Amino acid sequence: MTDIVRFILTAVFLFGGLAVLAAGVLGQYRFRIALNRLHASSMCDSLGLLALMVGLSISSGDGWIVLKFALTMIFLWIASPTAGHLIARLEATTNPRLDRDMEVIGK
Amino acid sequence: MQDAYQTLYTVALVVLSLLTLLCLERAVRGPGISSRIIAINMICTLTLAMICVLALMLGEGYLADVALLYAMIGFLAIVVLCKVYMGVAMEKREKGDIPK
Repeated sequence: MTDIVRFILTAVFLFGGLAVLAAGVLGQYRFRIALNRLHASSMCDSLGLLALMVGLSISSGDGWIVLKFALTMIFLWIASPTAGHLIARLEATTNPRLDRDMEVIGK
Repeated sequence: MQDAYQTLYTVALVVLSLLTLLCLERAVRGPGISSRIIAINMICTLTLAMICVLALMLGEGYLADVALLYAMIGFLAIVVLCKVYMGVAMEKREKGDIPK
């Protein structure tokens, strides 16, 4: 009985994470501006991988693997916003027509 | 029960590979350097997810360590790429190719 419940929980979290990742890839196709695409990709980094790793942790039951996944997620939560900030600054520097797409304050 | 888990992991891996291919196409086509770097960042995330699924599918615990290292190397790649292209943009701006 507990096996079935564990399998169902794993499947729900795994496919939830996959759905979020697919939404992020869809955002890469639908959005026109690079900063909007950055939003879709950051959502993948945090929520999609978190749901996927929660599902995998439920199915494994091994303490060390769960600990390593948790460490990976904590590192990603620090690294992903930093990378996003760098990419956004690069876009603001290289795009000469930034004020055509959005309102720029204090340029 | 083990067969059901294997099927689940295989389906997840197939979906992740398809998403990676779509992202690669976006990285080749996307206009502008920052769109390409965003697509590369996303390919890195999807590969990380694949490594984590493989760690449980093959039953090898050390692949979780590989996932942690892959996250660090991917972050380093993004930082280096951003710094390099920021330097290129600054040089172009000093020459006057890009208006301020």
